[in-house]
Amino acid sequence: MHWLKLRRLWRPAPLKRHYDTVIIGGGVHGLATAYYLARTHGLRDVAVLESRYLGFGGSGRNTAIVRANQRTPENVRFYDEGLKLWRTLTDELDYNLMFFNCGNLNLGHSEAAMNAFRMAASTHNFLGVKSEVLDPRQCAELIPGLDISDRPAFPIHGGLYHPPGGIVRHDAVVWGLAKGAAAHGAHIHQGCEVRGIDTDGARVTGVRTSLGHIGCNRLGIMAGGYSTAIAAMLGIELPIHPLTIQAMVTQPLKPFLHHVFSSGAYHVYANQTLKGEIATGAHMDPQVNYTTDATAYYLKHQAEALVDLMPALGRVRFMRIWAGLADMTPDMAPILDGDLGFGGLYLDAGWGYFGFKSGPVAGKYMAEYMATGERPEILRTFQLKRFLENRYSGETASAMKYGHWD
Amino acid sequence: MTVGRGEGVGGAPTGRLTPGPACRVDFSRPLAFRFLGRPMTGFAGDTVASALYANGVRIFGRSLKYHRPRGLYSLDGESSNALMEIDGVPNECAETTALRVGMSIRAQNVRGDPRTDRFAFLDAFDRLMPAGFYYRLFHRPYRLWPLFQKGLRRMAGTGVLDPVARPGPDVRAERYLNADVAVVGGGQAGMAAALAAAESGLRVCLFERRGWLGGHLAWRVREYEGEPQYERAEGLARRLSAGETAAPATHPAPAMHPARATHPAPAIVKVFTNSPVTGVWGENLVTGFTVGGEGDPFRECHLECRAKAVVVAAGCMERPLVFNHNDRPGVMQAGTAWRLARTYGVKPGNAVVFSVADDLSLEAAVDLADLGVPVQAVADAREAGHQDPALGAALEERGIPFLPGWAASRALGRKRVTGCELRTLRGAGSRRLRCDLLVANAGWQPGIGALATAGARLAYCTHTHTFQPVQLPRGVFAAGSLTGLRDPRSIEASGRLAGCRAAEWCLGEAARGGRWNRGGAESRGAATVAARATEAAERNAESLPGPEPGCDILHGPGIRRGAKAFVDLDEDGTWKNVVESAAQGFDVPELAKRFGGFGLGPGQYRVTGQNLAMIMADLRGDPLENASPTTVRPPLVAPSLATLAGPGHDVHKRTPLHGELASRGAVFRRAGPWLRARHFGGDPRHGASEATAHRLREEILNVRRNVGLLDSSPLGKFRIFGPDALNALQRVYISDISRARPGRCLYSALCNDMAHVLDDGAIVMDNGREYYFTTSSARAGSTMEWFRYHTRHDGWDFHLVNVTDVFGSINLAGPNARRVLERVTDDDISNEAFPYMGCRWITVGDVEVRCLRLGFVGELSYELHVPSSYCQFVWDLLVAAGADFGIQPFGLEAQYCLRAEKGHIIVGAESEARVTLTDIGMGWLWDREDTVSKKVGAPALRACEGQPGRLKLVGLRVRQGAGSSRAEPGASGAGPGSPRDGALVLDRGEIVGHVCTTRYSDTLGWQYGMALVREEVAVKGGRVVLQEEDAPGTKVICMATIVSPPFYDPGGERLRA
Repeated sequence: MHWLKLRRLWRPAPLKRHYDTVIIGGGVHGLATAYYLARTHGLRDVAVLESRYLGFGGSGRNTAIVRANQRTPENVRFYDEGLKLWRTLTDELDYNLMFFNCGNLNLGHSEAAMNAFRMAASTHNFLGVKSEVLDPRQCAELIPGLDISDRPAFPIHGGLYHPPGGIVRHDAVVWGLAKGAAAHGAHIHQGCEVRGIDTDGARVTGVRTSLGHIGCNRLGIMAGGYSTAIAAMLGIELPIHPLTIQAMVTQPLKPFLHHVFSSGAYHVYANQTLKGEIATGAHMDPQVNYTTDATAYYLKHQAEALVDLMPALGRVRFMRIWAGLADMTPDMAPILDGDLGFGGLYLDAGWGYFGFKSGPVAGKYMAEYMATGERPEILRTFQLKRFLENRYSGETASAMKYGHWD
Repeated sequence: MTVGRGEGVGGAPTGRLTPGPACRVDFSRPLAFRFLGRPMTGFAGDTVASALYANGVRIFGRSLKYHRPRGLYSLDGESSNALMEIDGVPNECAETTALRVGMSIRAQNVRGDPRTDRFAFLDAFDRLMPAGFYYRLFHRPYRLWPLFQKGLRRMAGTGVLDPVARPGPDVRAERYLNADVAVVGGGQAGMAAALAAAESGLRVCLFERRGWLGGHLAWRVREYEGEPQYERAEGLARRLSAGETAAPATHPAPAMHPARATHPAPAIVKVFTNSPVTGVWGENLVTGFTVGGEGDPFRECHLECRAKAVVVAAGCMERPLVFNHNDRPGVMQAGTAWRLARTYGVKPGNAVVFSVADDLSLEAAVDLADLGVPVQAVADAREAGHQDPALGAALEERGIPFLPGWAASRALGRKRVTGCELRTLRGAGSRRLRCDLLVANAGWQPGIGALATAGARLAYCTHTHTFQPVQLPRGVFAAGSLTGLRDPRSIEASGRLAGCRAAEWCLGEAARGGRWNRGGAESRGAATVAARATEAAERNAESLPGPEPGCDILHGPGIRRGAKAFVDLDEDGTWKNVVESAAQGFDVPELAKRFGGFGLGPGQYRVTGQNLAMIMADLRGDPLENASPTTVRPPLVAPSLATLAGPGHDVHKRTPLHGELASRGAVFRRAGPWLRARHFGGDPRHGASEATAHRLREEILNVRRNVGLLDSSPLGKFRIFGPDALNALQRVYISDISRARPGRCLYSALCNDMAHVLDDGAIVMDNGREYYFTTSSARAGSTMEWFRYHTRHDGWDFHLVNVTDVFGSINLAGPNARRVLERVTDDDISNEAFPYMGCRWITVGDVEVRCLRLGFVGELSYELHVPSSYCQFVWDLLVAAGADFGIQPFGLEAQYCLRAEKGHIIVGAESEARVTLTDIGMGWLWDREDTVSKKVGAPALRACEGQPGRLKLVGLRVRQGAGSSRAEPGASGAGPGSPRDGALVLDRGEIVGHVCTTRYSDTLGWQYGMALVREEVAVKGGRVVLQEEDAPGTKVICMATIVSPPFYDPGGERLRA
């Protein structure tokens, strides 16, 4: 047929009545876990259940930014390994994930922000992850058009530049991992909605789905914003607040923005995709919700922020806005745990808006965890019990709460 | 913004048709403009596109992937074909942008002239670029990928933006509207709906994207019921604008005869033309923008209309016919050719072939022929007998060959259409015709955008072969041709019915005492009348013809590979690409959309949406009724960021002393909603760091040695009173507030459930039922809600009043503070009468002020809470009284350093989410015996007690640096070898914590610091390494000893002096 052999990326598989391992969620995390289970650990009897289609959730709705400029050493190490996987995976999967290593510039708008940057940069460089604190002039050299004058509501004091970061084609990651997982024997079932989880009281035994009962020995909940609802089927209450978070793109333009930039004070992050659109994301909705409704408010808010930071963007037009779910924990770090009160039950959730960049690395270690039953050392920080013990991970300086009272 | 028509004055200029009655161009007003530097002339009323077309421009730009020539396809911005650079602004839609004199227009995605683009060769390489080809290529070997990536980036995108150029001084405005009924679309149905709703006395806003009302009636001269259709549209528009909207609200007119009403109603319909709707959002918020015309005080105006009900009458657009080379310049929509001729007086072509699938397009063919445009042939994808016989007869009368059951299979010509190939849909009939214009469509598809964004559920209708709403959200109504209606009477009746239903909905909600509760018998009466009107409108609509059958043609005959049969124009998505996507497993429209980029370009769903859904259903072998549309995302028309951003007025709060501080050279910084004086002297952001450091040292030393003044007005100030005031304070604060006594300040902190410190402040008891307390500036805004939330189940009786803005606050601090204050008050403020932590009312120059003797900065100090309007007065008195002592204002940074020397924490600087009250050494505040108040955070404090491995706050004495490669000075006053805030704390080569605050102190003569470190290194006398690495290879390393704060005046004698 075609010289590029246009075969199905992942072959449809018959739905079996029982799998050794069932993973709920056909996004980056679930597919990566299935991929590593099958490829690295030889566990090929794996099924990924997706209620809609692959990448329907956060995996296909994020702004594709990847980076490792986190706050605490534990997180930096984890995300740094994730950052290095894009290249490896592109090769392993033989699928171009289009990692654009353009670097990320986080803008600071106060002395306090610059101090936080100094701490972050010191931590990153200590751990061998490149980061650099920049003054406003250097920021404008990286991103021509940034307004570094006193005019903006929040004048730019400087930035934290993180060269190893960039953007990845998010859909390609989903499809590439699906291709890889299926090639190693995993079954992918789209349109299969989980409606209940069966246990014998001590261990999980299977899931009830829209396509019937599926037995399993091990179950991974990796359903992004919907993980709370799924964990609740077993009576497990997770300290996760799902909130709608919105993103939008402008009409395509020839390349002029060569780095990712972001600003906490303005609640904005933006990059120019390989297609030329400015993809930009906003802060989360102020209250907990599952709606994934886009709102007029954010479209306007985003324009206000972008035009204040970079006046030339006033000439650009927004083309599309959409929304997804951010599953927020109080400390902005995920829950990666297999100690949830039921044997064989594993959870990979609570990523907030870090879920895309962490997908492959989380899958790698969750696969190891699920295959061996031993928690990898790197996941020690991300246990559920830290919330019971009041030991937040410190990924954000102040605790995140999403009630209307805080 | 008014409806106006340029009746052509005199004859038509060259290249233009004699203006007919529906012409909007005024040939008496020529406008000169340039295209690629070439001078051209258009006329008032032209769009950029119509003017270019009239000047013979046929190639408007080049396509994204293959650089194929692209011409004028639509007139309502349905694809990126006519996105052009106008006056330096990229991606301006030539189809909808009004021509202005002096415009400079350029084509996009072009190297050189669009007629001879250098990348045109790419068109030959479609075989190398199947759907998703980029995911399969360029990554091996990986080191070459960055090169390919650079090339891909350059090829992608269309418009060119100069990021450094500032936009011009265009005025952008904003309007926030409130309506009972918002109507989307000013065609026949929209106008009828607006009139019907207005008859019930409801306030109506109608939004029309074009510059005039009437929808597709506006250019149609065909008579209907004895009246040319454009006149019918004008009649409705006149009734809307002239306020002929029936009787007053309380007595709605008989529903069927609005025209007979004699009483003019108040102007309750507001018509917005040139105002595309960008979305219908939750709770019936309609957004859009108005493009300003001559006489408007703005370039564009952002619109938001909160409506109770929405009528969507957005009309239809053409469904593109998918056939080979259907993107050639010279292939266009029927409406485009027709409107070029009728609306803009432009002759669309000299030899025209039609390949269409509906009666309206047949009418266009007849009308164009009547205008003198030679029509060679009309193919109709519908078999014979499905057409309006009158139109068939009209074609025959004009000698135009009519070919039912035929459709275009191929457009001929390399850069523009020179002919076409028509084939029969069944059988092998084929003929080639010469033409310079090929009008093609597959019938009409509804403009589902507004409905879809409103949340309507859409399903494929096998009768009309369109997506139709099967479930509408609350308060949203659909009307007009988008519901499949074609007969003008039916369209108008459906509009009227939707208007009546919207009115009934609004009034019904009111009568039910719902959200817009105006209640009462009056609204119940109005609701009943509205219901009767709806019934009548329903009966009327039912008596008229319903939706007409549509055409289900998927593609032109003989499509073969479909390599150049475009399903998506914006991103060059072909029939072949759809097949390839499906072959690779992306066989549902949503996946194919992402994989092949269908409908992701500037035209969004318009060109692609329905065709992709139908083709995919066909490829899967599903029946068409299973076809599912891809999600329509707002904005429906792309608004510029400048318009959305609006005037960009920055709202912030200024303290009562702002002007005073500014005149003294304060450098202001945003702190929450406030602008606060950070320090005085130059701004280090502008390279004045040396001078600033010097000035800052002076501010600090003046407080330590003499006396200083701080404007601390943003400090949160609250009154709480009532029988349960104490209970509330006990709940929220971690200390025993019952120890508060009149005349004394009680210091306490406030924790959250995790025992993280959120705030600290002073609490003063005024009497047994009334207290006064302060919060940090940052918490002032959330304190009310915090109290409410944490006492919500108790039913306590107390009142909390935020008086933050009522009182300014002036902090007078330094060893000479009392001497200054004594000069301005007669009250006894001696140390005995007014000791440390005391609180008194004193009179300063006749002003009663509350004075708190606190010591945040570690010196004798008085915090004066002064009524805001007297702040300047009191400040002036203090400055005059302190002149002999050299009193000087100091800013936030000086305060920050002063308090840190004293070891006082600032929430957020020395506390964070990993540490509790106890961890930062403030556990003594916790009233651990109190178990009845249910203090917020107390359970967590108890749980964390004795827990190993937590972070602890420690003091640091920093030794001089062990080396540095940094040139600039470090912390204030310290040399280049000193670490700054945020430096890491290392122990045995491991990160064990970080420095929160560190400064060189002139008072102490050494650099102190506060750090959060792991418990095991938090041992007094222990030595740690501080390391700062702002950039790779710029390490600042030095040693520090762990000491316990406070560093300055550990005994607190100065506070009590």
